[in-house]
Amino acid sequence: MDILSRIPQLLVYGVISGSILSLGGIGVSLIYSIIGFSNFAYGDMMALGAYIALGLFSLFVSWSIPNTPLGPLSFGFGFILAAIFAIGLTAVAVVLIDRILFNRLRNHSSVILMMSSIGVALALRNILQFFWGPQPHYYIERIQIASVIPGLGIRIKPDQVFIILVTIVLVVLVHAFLKYTKMGKAMRATADNNALARVTGINTNRVIVWTWVIGGALAATAGILAGIENKFITPELGWQMLLSIFAAVVLGGIGNPYGAIVGGMVIGITEEVSTAFIPTGYKPAVAFIIMILMLIVKPTGLLGKRR
Amino acid sequence: MSLLTVNAVTSGYGDMEILHGVSIEVGAAKIVTVIGPNGAGKSTLMKTIFGLLTPTAGQIIFAEEEITGLSPDLVVRRGMAYVPQVENIFPSLTVNENLEMGAFILTDDFSGQLEEIYELFPILNDRRKQRVGKMSGGERQMVAMGRALMLDPKLLMLDEPSAALAPNLAATIFERIVAINASGVAILIVEQNAKESLKVSDRGYVLASGRNRFEDTGEDLLANQDVGQLYLGG
Repeated sequence: MDILSRIPQLLVYGVISGSILSLGGIGVSLIYSIIGFSNFAYGDMMALGAYIALGLFSLFVSWSIPNTPLGPLSFGFGFILAAIFAIGLTAVAVVLIDRILFNRLRNHSSVILMMSSIGVALALRNILQFFWGPQPHYYIERIQIASVIPGLGIRIKPDQVFIILVTIVLVVLVHAFLKYTKMGKAMRATADNNALARVTGINTNRVIVWTWVIGGALAATAGILAGIENKFITPELGWQMLLSIFAAVVLGGIGNPYGAIVGGMVIGITEEVSTAFIPTGYKPAVAFIIMILMLIVKPTGLLGKRR
Repeated sequence: MSLLTVNAVTSGYGDMEILHGVSIEVGAAKIVTVIGPNGAGKSTLMKTIFGLLTPTAGQIIFAEEEITGLSPDLVVRRGMAYVPQVENIFPSLTVNENLEMGAFILTDDFSGQLEEIYELFPILNDRRKQRVGKMSGGERQMVAMGRALMLDPKLLMLDEPSAALAPNLAATIFERIVAINASGVAILIVEQNAKESLKVSDRGYVLASGRNRFEDTGEDLLANQDVGQLYLGG
């Protein structure tokens, strides 16, 4: 009875971590389907965004840009401004990484691209560690009291509501971009059939740059939101989440951004709910078990590739 | 006046040479069919003309300009369109989106062209919002041809447009090809089973083992007994 009564609360935690996994999953999925490889540097691109936000935030504080908390949130205008700039800068950085490295390897097999992304992952993480050290850096020092939703007995912090709302807004924006803009349609066309996209006259190089811009922006957002939820960041932040993100992408159907949202939510919720039954230390294993079961039962994932 | 001239082109995949000096000509607003058995190099010829493969010798001249070795995105801009034999549509996109992609390089309004294509293929008009991956082979072929026509090309190249289609559907497709041609578009078709195609063609070529074998008007090739026995199944 005691275990069951905890489940509604764990569901809420699951939706929060599922939101962050979904954003990362959309990015990984778009890069996989359009550019054609599993990007192991994605977690570290998330950490890069989180650290750029941290750096800009300290800069803004030294310029005395106000950061009085907005309403019930634990951060203010200064932090949001730093986050927005960090999202843009991460997108630029990710495009640069593509131009310097991945673009030169485009004619090689996807295994070569995947291996080189592991190199990028290590390089990024060590650059962050070089500048900021391995110790945690606090985003938010103040303690926020959770509000209780009457009747259900569920507690949720305003910052966590913010995380869920940002995720919903971004999912809607990405969906609208893919569905209604010329570049979004060209991205889906390139994911469907790269050779035909070129025969049709679609500038696939521009499609790839746009994919990195969106992938980088989503990575930075996911990293910053993870920092808000944990209150601190470390250079390992994204790497630690990457395996859950991959599990989410495989579960939803690799290459399908909509599947990544479903997969992210399922993985996030299952990981949290599992803590009611098994020790918290086993949480990362849960994502793996789901991923392996999915690969055995239905390798194309819940939603499969959109055809 | 010839629109496309392929002059003694040698081409293939890597070290494997498939075409050993093939020559063909397509006149403006004409229909030309290239026939030949499996492995004759018909698809290789198409890919080489369109810049997906780079010839090792010979020239390709289109609209009085040499395009030998030009990449596909540049060939498209010169007024040539290509419908591959397989995987010639974007399956997760709707009919309308597939056609829009055909006009990707245009910056001005293309709604007029879009409506013309729906007039040409009325069956697609009722299915604008349907995902092409879920449609039948004949409908997919129409989408593929429609996509290629969005830029109002001077030359439309079709790789086996009737392959894997039921006979009545194949007849519909050829009827449409004649209609497209009547609007002034030259058409180059490669076909394995080419009776239907030769019937509507001004000129035909027979390719075998990567070399020219026969060349004549469509009618005369159909009447040619050697060609009939060897390449048209008697």
